[in-house]
Amino acid sequence: MPDIGRRVWVIPGGRIPFPAHGAEPEFTGFDQLCVLNATDETAEVRVDVYYEDAEPVGPYLIPVGARRIRHVRLNDLIDPEAIRLDRPYGCLMRSPVPVVVQFLRQDTRLPGALGLATTLAYPA
Amino acid sequence: MARQFVNWSGSLAFTPGGYAEPADEEAVRDLVRRAREDRTKIRPIGSGHSSSPLVRTDGTLLSLDRMAGVIGNDPAAGRATVWAGTKLKALGEGLYDAGLAMDNLGDVDYQSIAGATATGTHGTGLGFGNLSTQVAGVRLVSGGGEILDISARDNPELFAAARLSLGALGVVTRITLHVQPRYELRRRAWCAHVDWTLDHLAELQHTNRNMDFYWYPRSDQTQIRTMNRRDREPDIQPWAAGREPGPGGQPAEVEVGPTHRTIPRHRELRFEEIEYMLPSEAFPACFGEVRRRIRERHRRVAAWRVLVRTIAADDIALSNAHGRATTTIACLQNSSLPYEEYFRDMEAVFRQYGGRPHWGKKHWLAAGELRPLYPRWDDFQAARRRLDPDGVFLTPDLARLLGEA
Repeated sequence: MPDIGRRVWVIPGGRIPFPAHGAEPEFTGFDQLCVLNATDETAEVRVDVYYEDAEPVGPYLIPVGARRIRHVRLNDLIDPEAIRLDRPYGCLMRSPVPVVVQFLRQDTRLPGALGLATTLAYPA
Repeated sequence: MARQFVNWSGSLAFTPGGYAEPADEEAVRDLVRRAREDRTKIRPIGSGHSSSPLVRTDGTLLSLDRMAGVIGNDPAAGRATVWAGTKLKALGEGLYDAGLAMDNLGDVDYQSIAGATATGTHGTGLGFGNLSTQVAGVRLVSGGGEILDISARDNPELFAAARLSLGALGVVTRITLHVQPRYELRRRAWCAHVDWTLDHLAELQHTNRNMDFYWYPRSDQTQIRTMNRRDREPDIQPWAAGREPGPGGQPAEVEVGPTHRTIPRHRELRFEEIEYMLPSEAFPACFGEVRRRIRERHRRVAAWRVLVRTIAADDIALSNAHGRATTTIACLQNSSLPYEEYFRDMEAVFRQYGGRPHWGKKHWLAAGELRPLYPRWDDFQAARRRLDPDGVFLTPDLARLLGEA
């Protein structure tokens, strides 16, 4: 497989939407990392989370198998520490093999409305 | 100067006057007698897994790490006698080598057998009491320096107190356990929506040897875990229905092994925990309120799972399953995050439904609130005054807990 992607990715604009409205888990508000690993090796992605008023927390370890994708809701991470909802953060991802990282946000703060926003993470 | 003690989760730290690691019962007796003469305190400590201040002292912390291992067993009688400092993991291996096993275990196995039974540590399963119910007898060094055997046969009037003693009656040196011939369990785990789990809860609890579930507050999903003997698996297979990917994807679904390797999980990530034992009939309403409050008030900071388990009723004086079939609710939080506001709010809910706190986890109750919850409270107090009349083991924290001056 070709080595598609980069080894370092950045998302500066994280903020998990809160509160959520609607049946869960379908309508849970979330920030999500979508990682594609097209290489023939497992990507042990390490994520560090940065805040406005505190030292970074990490690494969060997200292994992505060879020739696999993985979608991870940042809301669900607890190791090493849960990310608080509705708190600005940014994250820096490092992978030993090239990967592609997309960011997806689902926002259900407004009852009866669902907002989806997505972008590629910044490949540093 | 003595080194600082820090518990497993990191929230309990203090510097005792000293540490002691006796190698035999005579050495324990010497330490107790000396403390009594000097009017200092002794607190026996297990592995330091508890986060309530049961062991906090400016006196001596007495570790039984050097008094560990299986002393002997009697398979025909279903008994094994072990040193009190034996860690559960090593105990499981030692019993396994002898063809034996404890009937049930808790969610982790770092604790010593004395610490686990002294605090009412438990696993799950309608047919299983907490670990203290597996205690058939103890030997302890009392506050007067006397070595006493306590069981249904020896000093039986003390037995209901000694099986779960908070380390307040003496230093337990040996424990005789009810044990079983060893066997293998099959563990299954799968995720489902909380509504499906609550709808099927009674069926899941009654058809499986062990069943518990985690509720994930940030997705309203659950992870269900069941365990059954390989040779006695239920015909009903509810895991075929209701399955959906959980917050962390699908958990490892099936695992087979002996009890001591299958029931406990390895947990490296440190957390704080509050757990209350509820009368099982109060569980649905209580869990509904817990779920509502977490979603409305605490979801910003509360991402960890909420664990629900069951314990069979027993007749142990300070057991928090005393006299009633029990369902437990435990809230967990990263050690590095604030927990007190969240846990105090949960405690208020638990108390509304007649909950009793886990002795070794976070709670804010003292004797005034605890005494009405335990029908045999005064029996325990009488045993404590008899075995430790000079208060060698009675620290200020224990005095507050037990209502002693």
